[in-house]
Amino acid sequence: MPTKRFLTPLALAAMLVMMPDAPADAQQPQRGGTLSSIISPEPPTLMIGISQTTPTAIVAGKIYESLLRYSTDLKPMPGLAKSWEVSEDGRTYTFRLHENVKWHDGQPFTAEDVVFTATKYLIEVHPRSRPIMQRAESVTAPDRNTVVFRLKEPFAPFIMAWEPSTAPIVPKHIYDGTNYRNNPANQTPIGTGPFKLQEWVRGSHIHLVRNDEYWQPGKPYLDAIYYRVLPDAGARVVAMETGQTHLSAFADIETFEVPRLKAMPHLELTTKGYEYLAQMVWLDFNLRNPPMNDRRFRQAVYYAMDRDFIRDRIWFGLGKIATGPIHSSIPHYDANVPKYPLDLKKSEQLLDEMGLKRGTDGVRVRVTLDALPYGDIYKRLAEYTKQALARVGIEVTIRTSDVAGWGDRVRNWDYEMTHQVLSQLGHPALGVSRLYITSNIRKGVLFSNVNGYTNPRIDELFSKAAVAVEPAQIQAMYSEIQRILVEDVPVAWLLELEFPTFINKQFRNVVTSGIGVRDNFADVHMVRQ
Amino acid sequence: MTGMEGLRDFWQRYRRNKGAIVGLAVLVLVLATALLGPTLFPGNPWDMAGAPFQKPFDPEFPLGTDTLGRDILMGIVHGARVSLLIGFVATFAAVSLGVILGSVAGYYGGLVDDLLMRFTEFFQTIPSFVFAIVLVAIFTPSIASIVAAIAIVSWPPVARLVRGEFLTLRTREFVQASVVLGRSSRHIIFVEILPNAVSPIIVAGSLMVATAILIESSLSFLGLGDPNMMSWGFMIGSARTVLRTAWWMSFFPGLAILLTVLALNLVGEGLNDALNPRLTREGR
Amino acid sequence: MQRLQFIAQRVVKGIVVLLGIIILNFLLIRMAPGDPASVMAGEAGAADEVFMSQLRKEFGLDRPLHEQLTIYIKNVVTLDLGFSYRQQRPVADLLLERVPATLLLTGTAFLLSLVVGVLLGILAASRVGQWSDSLVTVIALFFYATPIFWVGLMGILLFSVTLGWLPSFGMYTVGGKLTGAAFALDVLHHLILPAITLALFHMAVYARMTRASMLEMRDQDFVRTAHAKGLREGRIVRIHVLRNAILPVITMAGVKAGYLIGGSIVVETVFAWPGIGRLAFETVMQRDYNLLLGVFILTSFMVIAVNLITDVIYSFVDPRIELGQ
Repeated sequence: MPTKRFLTPLALAAMLVMMPDAPADAQQPQRGGTLSSIISPEPPTLMIGISQTTPTAIVAGKIYESLLRYSTDLKPMPGLAKSWEVSEDGRTYTFRLHENVKWHDGQPFTAEDVVFTATKYLIEVHPRSRPIMQRAESVTAPDRNTVVFRLKEPFAPFIMAWEPSTAPIVPKHIYDGTNYRNNPANQTPIGTGPFKLQEWVRGSHIHLVRNDEYWQPGKPYLDAIYYRVLPDAGARVVAMETGQTHLSAFADIETFEVPRLKAMPHLELTTKGYEYLAQMVWLDFNLRNPPMNDRRFRQAVYYAMDRDFIRDRIWFGLGKIATGPIHSSIPHYDANVPKYPLDLKKSEQLLDEMGLKRGTDGVRVRVTLDALPYGDIYKRLAEYTKQALARVGIEVTIRTSDVAGWGDRVRNWDYEMTHQVLSQLGHPALGVSRLYITSNIRKGVLFSNVNGYTNPRIDELFSKAAVAVEPAQIQAMYSEIQRILVEDVPVAWLLELEFPTFINKQFRNVVTSGIGVRDNFADVHMVRQ
Repeated sequence: MTGMEGLRDFWQRYRRNKGAIVGLAVLVLVLATALLGPTLFPGNPWDMAGAPFQKPFDPEFPLGTDTLGRDILMGIVHGARVSLLIGFVATFAAVSLGVILGSVAGYYGGLVDDLLMRFTEFFQTIPSFVFAIVLVAIFTPSIASIVAAIAIVSWPPVARLVRGEFLTLRTREFVQASVVLGRSSRHIIFVEILPNAVSPIIVAGSLMVATAILIESSLSFLGLGDPNMMSWGFMIGSARTVLRTAWWMSFFPGLAILLTVLALNLVGEGLNDALNPRLTREGR
Repeated sequence: MQRLQFIAQRVVKGIVVLLGIIILNFLLIRMAPGDPASVMAGEAGAADEVFMSQLRKEFGLDRPLHEQLTIYIKNVVTLDLGFSYRQQRPVADLLLERVPATLLLTGTAFLLSLVVGVLLGILAASRVGQWSDSLVTVIALFFYATPIFWVGLMGILLFSVTLGWLPSFGMYTVGGKLTGAAFALDVLHHLILPAITLALFHMAVYARMTRASMLEMRDQDFVRTAHAKGLREGRIVRIHVLRNAILPVITMAGVKAGYLIGGSIVVETVFAWPGIGRLAFETVMQRDYNLLLGVFILTSFMVIAVNLITDVIYSFVDPRIELGQ
């Protein structure tokens, strides 16, 4: 802090208010300290290449790295690549890698590892990365620290595909020529990240320790990170309150506990760090069956859903009302679309128009809703949906099942309505188009266009927008897409999810990017108090 | 002795057990709630009637509201029906299955008995709650799958009990007489022997209703209840995570389960005293 | 000799039952709707046919059912319980590392319930009609009727939230870097609440049983004979009554082993205890076939083992037993 000789009382007061934060910002980050974080559920594996579950991404994000990271406004930032260029024609991507990077086993990291990862490893094991990597015509390593991707056609979202859970770089010397999924090395992950796996006591905790050979000098600051497996939501709150753990993220803390924890002096709340994932929850209609195949029915349902209630009472204010298929933190979002505020009259009018009259019991039509098996909050959402639609004469029967049962019904199109929640992965071409284009209607495949929406104009716009180069042109196409889809209501978009990240104030720089707690934590440091 | 006298006699013996009287009173109250509750408290227990997290002892919501603003009292009243329904239907199914298998085994004896008892033992060895969870999870939680799962894990003790009774009764004179008279086996089993074995079955059944209600509540607590039915276990399960901020959401439904199960146990004991004065008092 | 034969017979029976359980569960789980490949693919964030058929092939899910069963049983015989596709590790490893926690919890609860239950039962039976008898009876009735998860939740509310005496979750303080006696004490501290929660129901069962069967024994002929022989009251109680009264309790303890494991699912879920019970529940939800079957085999094995042990103890305690029938 700059020193001044004379302080007015007002300035002094202002300073005192600022005091708690001021010393830390001025202070040089110091080595040392152990962060204890919640992890829930327990990750299935730490080999981030074969599992893209969030828990795996959180823990393994400290062990493995990718070429880039992304800021909270989704601009690429250096990762293993210190710089990158895109050619004029949008087809050549050149990445320059950091030098003197070593794998955890001491072997040097080179451009060959990137080539192996992109051309062999990811294409075999990573379903989300495969279609992106397959766009490359060639991947070459002109020298130890340079990788060049030549694409078959321009694909602007290519630059968005390089965060650790979308494209983790794995060591060629360990995986080349082996069975990637069964390789015993998956139990002892070898990455380039700032932390190494020390011990994993299943059902209890994962212990990561500082990588002393990390390529960024002086980093990481922390000595160790513990990830505590706490499957019980009540236990997680206690752990944060009492300081037994210092960090919670995603759905660790139930929404209704947020106001209480937020008021605790030792905790800091942020909802940043989820911009890349950009999760959205919606009500999905199977468009093959009546009455869901009628647009008026879907609009009627949309008008009957009080999304303020969903945001305020179910998510306790953690979220933004979704206006359409693209999340507002994702490029090419356009707010200028038709709106569907709560309007029971309009809803009933539409149902009347369809000829769905109320019977003597007040019921117009009966529909089954498969509840999303992702925990209590989605159960409550299903219960709310049932009550909300009952008001306009739609009787909903809720069906619950385990993840396998739900997945089977949805991917085989054997459902009427369900909720879904999905990430948009930094770009509409990576996370949004897959849900609406005709070519992605694939029976038996989850997270494809399962509800069977098909519209030639939408297909055309999505495919043209993905390979276009001129920014204004791209935006125009995405805007048109959003207007058409919102008009059509292939699904009823409910909420852009916000997640509460609670950080114990002893720790700084925990969330610094758009990938949030899945980032590598090289900059996290502890403040002595 | 006439039916009236028998009944009075039974009541005399039942009355001697003070706990059983209390149990009966509570049970009648719960039954009345289940039958009349929805009339006295009309409306839908799922309605988000008020603000979420309202504390109890408030004139509008005497037991408070839950995480979505649903009336807890309303949930308990409507939940009584679900809990009792599942308890009684599952018990009926389990007892029927147990009676059939047990009587066949006890009556025929020999190889049939051996096979059926191995079968029974087999089901007794499977960890019952784990098995119930698997059954309900796989066949999708619904009233039907829950009742079926509870019945499937509950019948073996009944079968053993009935078999034991049959083994003794089979050698009695009146049974032997029927055999000599050439009565059909079915007649002997259901008309001659079964009525004489009915007392212990009733006692076991009354206790099993209690167990069934406990199993249902545990399943619902773990999230395996019927999602379209408001049950007590569901209420506790969905309130578990808010225990620290909202104790009332799990406290009151738990109390309802406790009282109902307690009442059923007390009634079961009373029945035991009244029907089998000589038998020991270990339920199940 | 007779006893050995008796035990051998029981062991063989146990093995047959175990085999039956494996087959039943195998068929049940495989016939159920829901493809595990879609769960795995779903977790990978995006699914496509290539990926799913790859997974099915890798885990043998594309073979006919009877073939899968034969392979599975062959593997089980050699103690190979297969590979958990979700956790990417051998099932046997996953189970084994959960066993100690569950044994600690259920074992403590078992001993606690048995010792306290039997003592309370004796106390009540020796003071029939007095206030201590009534108290024991009421307490036993109360816990016999209380849902186990509710006891746990109320325990947390009282002892962790309100009084702050006991931790409410986990098995030990992670990152506490405790060793030796300090670590044991830490585990004990974490164990108290879940173990008592799990024990209370069974304690009620044993207390009721002991009381009832002691009262019954009192009236039996051999007790009267002992009286006639002039043995002192205390000795009679200790030797004759207790010994005979305990028999049904032992049988019951064996029968209840399965319930204890069932109860541990709920208790481990409430208290975040890292044992088999919680694993069982998580596994059901994820339809992790091999792991689920492994849990089944292990828990059934535990029940069979406990039954066998109680049979053997019974054969030693009961003076009247005629072995080999």
